[in-house]
Amino acid sequence: MAGGGPRDAGADAAGAFSRGKTLLAVALAWAVPGLGHVVLGRVRRGILFFVLIAGSFALGLAHDGRLALRDPRQSVLTTLQIVANAGVGPADPAARWAVYGEIAYSMPQDPSSRRLVIFRDRTRSALSMYGTAYLWTAGLMNLLLLFDVWDIGRGRKA
Amino acid sequence: MRSHLLHLLLYSTVVSTFFGVLARRGARDRFRLGSMIWATMVGGTLVLAYLMYAFPR
Repeated sequence: MAGGGPRDAGADAAGAFSRGKTLLAVALAWAVPGLGHVVLGRVRRGILFFVLIAGSFALGLAHDGRLALRDPRQSVLTTLQIVANAGVGPADPAARWAVYGEIAYSMPQDPSSRRLVIFRDRTRSALSMYGTAYLWTAGLMNLLLLFDVWDIGRGRKA
Repeated sequence: MRSHLLHLLLYSTVVSTFFGVLARRGARDRFRLGSMIWATMVGGTLVLAYLMYAFPR
Protein backbone atom coordinates (compact mmCIF):
# COMPACT_ATOMS: atom_id res chain seq x y z
CA MET A 1 0.00 0.00 0.00
CA ALA A 2 1.47 3.32 -0.98
CA GLY A 3 0.32 6.66 0.25
CA GLY A 4 0.06 7.96 3.76
CA GLY A 5 -3.05 7.43 5.82
CA PRO A 6 -3.81 8.79 9.27
CA ARG A 7 -1.47 6.20 10.85
CA ASP A 8 1.41 7.35 8.63
CA ALA A 9 1.89 10.76 10.23
CA GLY A 10 5.37 11.87 9.24
CA ALA A 11 5.50 9.70 6.13
CA ASP A 12 5.92 11.13 2.63
CA ALA A 13 3.48 10.63 -0.24
CA ALA A 14 4.94 7.20 -1.00
CA GLY A 15 4.43 6.08 2.60
CA ALA A 16 8.13 6.29 3.51
CA PHE A 17 9.43 7.82 6.72
CA SER A 18 12.71 9.71 7.00
CA ARG A 19 15.89 7.63 7.29
CA GLY A 20 16.45 8.99 10.81
CA LYS A 21 12.99 8.03 12.03
CA THR A 22 13.34 4.61 10.42
CA LEU A 23 16.70 4.01 12.12
CA LEU A 24 15.21 5.13 15.43
CA ALA A 25 12.30 2.73 14.92
CA VAL A 26 14.73 -0.13 14.17
CA ALA A 27 16.73 0.63 17.32
CA LEU A 28 13.57 0.79 19.42
CA ALA A 29 12.33 -2.44 17.82
CA TRP A 30 15.48 -4.20 18.99
CA ALA A 31 15.25 -2.71 22.49
CA VAL A 32 11.56 -3.51 22.97
CA PRO A 33 9.99 -6.04 20.60
CA GLY A 34 7.10 -4.48 18.69
CA LEU A 35 7.95 -0.89 19.62
CA GLY A 36 9.36 -0.16 16.16
CA HIS A 37 6.00 -1.04 14.62
CA VAL A 38 4.20 1.15 17.16
CA VAL A 39 6.48 4.11 16.37
CA LEU A 40 5.65 3.71 12.68
CA GLY A 41 1.91 3.62 13.40
CA ARG A 42 1.36 -0.16 13.26
CA VAL A 43 0.14 -0.27 16.84
CA ARG A 44 -1.94 -3.46 16.89
CA ARG A 45 0.72 -5.37 14.98
CA GLY A 46 3.38 -4.08 17.37
CA ILE A 47 1.42 -5.15 20.44
CA LEU A 48 0.84 -8.62 18.99
CA PHE A 49 4.54 -9.02 18.17
CA PHE A 50 5.44 -7.90 21.69
CA VAL A 51 3.10 -10.49 23.22
CA LEU A 52 4.48 -13.28 21.01
CA ILE A 53 8.15 -12.46 21.57
CA ALA A 54 7.94 -11.58 25.26
CA GLY A 55 5.82 -14.69 25.82
CA SER A 56 8.30 -16.90 24.01
CA PHE A 57 11.19 -15.34 25.95
CA ALA A 58 9.39 -15.81 29.29
CA LEU A 59 8.59 -19.44 28.44
CA GLY A 60 12.25 -19.97 27.57
CA LEU A 61 13.46 -18.63 30.89
CA ALA A 62 10.79 -20.52 32.82
CA HIS A 63 11.90 -23.78 31.20
CA ASP A 64 15.62 -23.34 31.96
CA GLY A 65 16.51 -22.37 28.42
CA ARG A 66 20.20 -22.03 27.63
CA LEU A 67 21.59 -18.52 27.76
CA ALA A 68 24.51 -19.31 25.49
CA LEU A 69 28.11 -18.79 26.56
CA ARG A 70 30.85 -18.53 23.94
CA ASP A 71 33.00 -21.64 24.03
CA PRO A 72 36.35 -21.40 22.13
CA ARG A 73 36.08 -25.11 21.29
CA GLN A 74 32.84 -24.44 19.36
CA SER A 75 33.26 -20.77 18.64
CA VAL A 76 31.08 -20.44 15.51
CA LEU A 77 28.16 -22.41 16.90
CA THR A 78 28.15 -20.77 20.31
CA THR A 79 28.58 -17.30 18.80
CA LEU A 80 25.50 -17.89 16.64
CA GLN A 81 23.62 -19.00 19.75
CA ILE A 82 24.57 -15.75 21.47
CA VAL A 83 23.35 -13.78 18.44
CA ALA A 84 20.01 -15.60 18.66
CA ASN A 85 19.80 -14.83 22.39
CA ALA A 86 20.80 -11.20 21.93
CA GLY A 87 18.04 -10.64 19.35
CA VAL A 88 15.59 -9.79 22.13
CA GLY A 89 17.57 -6.71 23.11
CA PRO A 90 18.36 -5.60 26.68
CA ALA A 91 16.15 -8.39 28.04
CA ASP A 92 19.03 -10.79 27.26
CA PRO A 93 21.68 -9.16 29.49
CA ALA A 94 19.00 -8.67 32.15
CA ALA A 95 18.22 -12.38 32.03
CA ARG A 96 21.93 -13.24 32.25
CA TRP A 97 22.23 -11.00 35.29
CA ALA A 98 19.26 -12.76 36.91
CA VAL A 99 20.49 -16.27 36.06
CA TYR A 100 24.28 -16.07 36.33
CA GLY A 101 24.53 -13.11 38.71
CA GLU A 102 26.58 -11.26 36.07
CA ILE A 103 26.26 -10.22 32.43
CA ALA A 104 28.38 -13.03 31.04
CA TYR A 105 28.88 -14.19 27.46
CA SER A 106 31.90 -16.50 27.69
CA MET A 107 32.36 -20.03 28.97
CA PRO A 108 34.70 -19.98 31.98
CA GLN A 109 37.73 -22.27 31.83
CA ASP A 110 37.64 -23.02 35.55
CA PRO A 111 35.41 -26.12 36.00
CA SER A 112 34.39 -25.00 39.50
CA SER A 113 33.22 -21.59 38.28
CA ARG A 114 29.76 -20.65 39.59
CA ARG A 115 28.70 -19.58 36.08
CA LEU A 116 29.64 -22.96 34.64
CA VAL A 117 27.84 -24.84 37.41
CA ILE A 118 24.65 -22.83 36.81
CA PHE A 119 24.95 -23.30 33.03
CA ARG A 120 25.34 -27.08 33.39
CA ASP A 121 22.53 -27.37 35.94
CA ARG A 122 20.15 -25.55 33.63
CA THR A 123 21.05 -27.58 30.55
CA ARG A 124 20.62 -30.83 32.52
CA SER A 125 17.00 -29.94 33.22
CA ALA A 126 14.53 -32.15 31.35
CA LEU A 127 12.79 -29.12 29.88
CA SER A 128 15.90 -27.17 28.94
CA MET A 129 15.69 -28.09 25.25
CA TYR A 130 12.23 -26.58 25.03
CA GLY A 131 13.35 -23.53 26.93
CA THR A 132 16.29 -23.06 24.59
CA ALA A 133 14.02 -23.34 21.55
CA TYR A 134 11.70 -20.66 22.97
CA LEU A 135 14.63 -18.34 23.76
CA TRP A 136 16.23 -18.68 20.33
CA THR A 137 12.86 -18.31 18.63
CA ALA A 138 12.15 -15.09 20.55
CA GLY A 139 15.51 -13.60 19.55
CA LEU A 140 15.32 -14.67 15.91
CA MET A 141 11.74 -13.46 15.55
CA ASN A 142 12.78 -10.05 16.87
CA LEU A 143 15.74 -9.91 14.46
CA LEU A 144 13.31 -10.60 11.59
CA LEU A 145 11.12 -7.77 12.86
CA LEU A 146 14.03 -5.34 12.49
CA PHE A 147 14.00 -5.96 8.72
CA ASP A 148 10.21 -5.62 8.70
CA VAL A 149 10.42 -2.26 10.51
CA TRP A 150 13.07 -1.08 8.04
CA ASP A 151 10.89 -2.07 5.07
CA ILE A 152 7.86 -0.30 6.55
CA GLY A 153 9.91 2.79 7.36
CA ARG A 154 11.32 3.02 3.84
CA GLY A 155 7.87 2.57 2.29
CA ARG A 156 8.53 -0.87 0.82
CA LYS A 157 5.82 -2.49 2.89
CA ALA A 158 2.49 -1.38 4.36
CA MET B 1 4.56 -27.48 31.85
CA ARG B 2 5.96 -30.94 31.20
CA SER B 3 3.71 -32.16 28.39
CA HIS B 4 5.54 -32.61 25.07
CA LEU B 5 2.26 -32.36 23.17
CA LEU B 6 1.28 -29.08 24.82
CA HIS B 7 4.71 -27.65 24.03
CA LEU B 8 4.29 -28.73 20.41
CA LEU B 9 0.88 -27.04 20.20
CA LEU B 10 2.01 -23.88 22.00
CA TYR B 11 5.27 -23.47 20.08
CA SER B 12 3.51 -24.07 16.75
CA THR B 13 0.86 -21.50 17.66
CA VAL B 14 3.47 -18.84 18.52
CA VAL B 15 5.50 -19.41 15.35
CA SER B 16 2.55 -19.71 12.97
CA THR B 17 0.86 -16.59 14.36
CA PHE B 18 4.11 -14.63 14.03
CA PHE B 19 4.74 -15.60 10.41
CA GLY B 20 1.08 -15.28 9.44
CA VAL B 21 1.00 -11.67 10.66
CA LEU B 22 4.49 -10.86 9.36
CA ALA B 23 4.16 -12.24 5.85
CA ARG B 24 0.56 -11.48 4.88
CA ARG B 25 -1.81 -8.51 4.83
CA GLY B 26 -5.47 -8.94 5.66
CA ALA B 27 -7.05 -11.16 8.27
CA ARG B 28 -8.12 -13.85 5.82
CA ASP B 29 -4.69 -14.32 4.24
CA ARG B 30 -2.99 -14.21 7.61
CA PHE B 31 -5.29 -16.85 9.01
CA ARG B 32 -4.78 -19.04 5.95
CA LEU B 33 -0.96 -18.88 6.09
CA GLY B 34 -0.89 -19.26 9.88
CA SER B 35 -3.16 -22.29 9.72
CA MET B 36 -1.01 -23.86 7.01
CA ILE B 37 2.19 -23.37 9.03
CA TRP B 38 0.53 -24.64 12.22
CA ALA B 39 -0.87 -27.74 10.50
CA THR B 40 2.49 -28.46 8.85
CA MET B 41 4.39 -28.16 12.15
CA VAL B 42 1.95 -30.20 14.24
CA GLY B 43 1.10 -32.73 11.53
CA GLY B 44 4.71 -33.15 10.44
CA THR B 45 5.87 -33.71 14.02
CA LEU B 46 3.13 -36.27 14.72
CA VAL B 47 3.90 -38.16 11.49
CA LEU B 48 7.62 -38.14 12.30
CA ALA B 49 6.93 -39.28 15.88
CA TYR B 50 4.73 -42.11 14.56
CA LEU B 51 7.47 -43.24 12.17
CA MET B 52 10.08 -43.05 14.93
CA TYR B 53 7.98 -45.30 17.13
CA ALA B 54 9.34 -48.23 15.09
CA PHE B 55 12.90 -47.26 16.10
CA PRO B 56 12.91 -46.80 19.87
CA ARG B 57 16.71 -46.40 20.05
